[in-house]
Amino acid sequence: MKKAMIFVLIVLLAVPSILVAGGTGENGAKSVKIGFIGPMTGDNANYGVLCNQAVKLALSEINAAGGINGIQIELITEDSEGSVEKGLSAIEKLSSSDKIVALVGPVFTGISFAVGARCQDEGLVMVTPSATHKEITAIGDCVFRTVVSDGLQGEVAGAYFAQALGYRNIAVLYTKNDYSQGLYEGMKTSFEANGGKIGVVETCQVGDKDFKTQLTKIKAASPDAIYIPNYTAEMAQILEQASQLGMTIPFLSGDGFSNPDIYNLAGAFCDGVVYVAPTQVEESTAYVDFVNKYAATYGVKPDSFATNAYDATRIVADALATVYKNTGKFDRADVRDAVAATKDFPGVAGVVNFAENGDLIAYQGVYKVNGTTPEYLGAYSVIDGKLTKVN
Amino acid sequence: MGSVSEFFQHFLNGLTLGGIYALIALGYTMVYGILKFINFAHGDILMVGAYIGLFVFDFLRGSTPLGPWWFFAFLLAMICSMVACGLLGMFIEKIAYKPLRKATRLAPLLSAIGVSFVLSNTAAWVFGTQSRKLEYPFDNTPIVIGSGLNGVSVTPHQILVLCASAVMMIVLKLFVDKTRMGKAMRATSLDQDTSKLMGIKSDHVISLTFAIGSALAACGGMLIALDFKVYATMGTMVGLKAFVAAVVGGIGNISGAMLGGLLLGLLETFGVAVLGIPQGYKDAIAFGVLILILLFKPDGLLGKNEKEKV
Repeated sequence: MKKAMIFVLIVLLAVPSILVAGGTGENGAKSVKIGFIGPMTGDNANYGVLCNQAVKLALSEINAAGGINGIQIELITEDSEGSVEKGLSAIEKLSSSDKIVALVGPVFTGISFAVGARCQDEGLVMVTPSATHKEITAIGDCVFRTVVSDGLQGEVAGAYFAQALGYRNIAVLYTKNDYSQGLYEGMKTSFEANGGKIGVVETCQVGDKDFKTQLTKIKAASPDAIYIPNYTAEMAQILEQASQLGMTIPFLSGDGFSNPDIYNLAGAFCDGVVYVAPTQVEESTAYVDFVNKYAATYGVKPDSFATNAYDATRIVADALATVYKNTGKFDRADVRDAVAATKDFPGVAGVVNFAENGDLIAYQGVYKVNGTTPEYLGAYSVIDGKLTKVN
Repeated sequence: MGSVSEFFQHFLNGLTLGGIYALIALGYTMVYGILKFINFAHGDILMVGAYIGLFVFDFLRGSTPLGPWWFFAFLLAMICSMVACGLLGMFIEKIAYKPLRKATRLAPLLSAIGVSFVLSNTAAWVFGTQSRKLEYPFDNTPIVIGSGLNGVSVTPHQILVLCASAVMMIVLKLFVDKTRMGKAMRATSLDQDTSKLMGIKSDHVISLTFAIGSALAACGGMLIALDFKVYATMGTMVGLKAFVAAVVGGIGNISGAMLGGLLLGLLETFGVAVLGIPQGYKDAIAFGVLILILLFKPDGLLGKNEKEKV
């Protein structure tokens, strides 16, 4: 009797799961599953929770509006706890046992590298809202992102310095950390591809106050300009001491310069600095609506990654709808192709288009400081090696 | 290294950096000379002095344009800051060092490190962790000798720092060697108990030593802040370097501190510029020199080789 009960119980449990698994099949689909991986507990849970809520918000809206032809999109959330191992077991579960057709996430770069490789093997499309490392999309054609790649800034910077400003020889003074070094390397590649030459390269440490040795060496080499992709504390010292050394060589910088604190610290020494940083975004009504709705639902405001997660989810849902309309089922390869084909998607963070490699096509703003006020020179992108101004 | 002018520029850079180290090393060495005790909170008293100076100076100059008044206001701010830090130094001595005077030599040293943390963390908590700018009270346009690529430049501020450390060194030396109070200090330094028997109020002498040392730190802090900005941890690294400078010159020796400071500044600059030591190891130069000095000439360059009295 007891055995029979257990048997019945197993059957009862198994049947719905068979039904759901069949849900991704051709006939009688009632729901389709997508996955989310992010840190939901632990030190970095704040990032994961905010993104996860954005995904839930997007899905609840889509499902309330009838889903995809009456098929509800179901979300399976897996906690990575911010560790690569947990992320890998999460993707195994999502892919093999939950049979998801698309993944939003992972939230962190390190985990995205590992999970991305698994997604690529499984032919499962992955859209990360927040992994910014340049090489993430190099994993393969299944990996997309709705966040700007770290590589873009350096690329636009190098092209702008060479093509728009006509510099041939640039000196660099960067800080020994991932941020500064990454920007320097990105700029160097792009600048050299444009025929420019990086002359003197000097480094410093975070917290250094005296840069006169490096600047004296750079001065003696008399380059066309000096690129200083650092944080404000270091840049303020560099600008002031360059002036103390009687240097008149123009300075170039990165998005660290967009922090207004630089004007308190370096004041008039900022005059004439050209820097590349995110574009000026006008807050669209769609964005304001999203923020209000998110805040009303969860009691906190979304961060930029959560905003990207919201867009990523809607892009995935759009792709699912297209695929279902064309084929009547949800095939992973078709879903990937549909995500790749996304064109001019009206996201709340801006219009979304994917580059060939799965990167978000984005622009960088170029600014020039006049006195102590940055002047916006416009948004630029690099298309086929050519610097292009975007309106 | 390229031209002669580049060499001179490096030399000036090194010399003025050394001037900064010397300025702070004087305070270290004075306290050590009298009390045989390294006040590791010296760098943090310097930071407090810079903050006080910054607030008083900004209050006094208000929105007036740069002019002679600024310089006067700066001097007033410096006096306020020196007095306040002098009192702070005496207070710290009373609560953190005096109770440990009979303890092992290590105890006040650890207490000093504790005071250092308390001061810098309190400052970070009260004033925040962002750097603040202390405006130059004079026109700091560099004086350029030569022109263009061959130009060598030096700022009025750099000259001021060098002069200030030289003047301070001389005044301190005169004070310790020639005045009655200085004599009391030297006596206390030789033997506290005997000097008490001779009618010297050694508690007062020690208090005064701390007051002068801390006032020197405040003065140095303000002069450094002009170049390096004001922030909660500003005294940490520069304080350590100054300590090395004091040891190199012979700790306890006032002229030695000056020599050690200048030498250290030049070594750091030329180590990177000429010897090609990677920039990241710049700080390692100072501590490398410290190790060499301790190995081969533990009393420092100008230190007297005194035998421990038995």
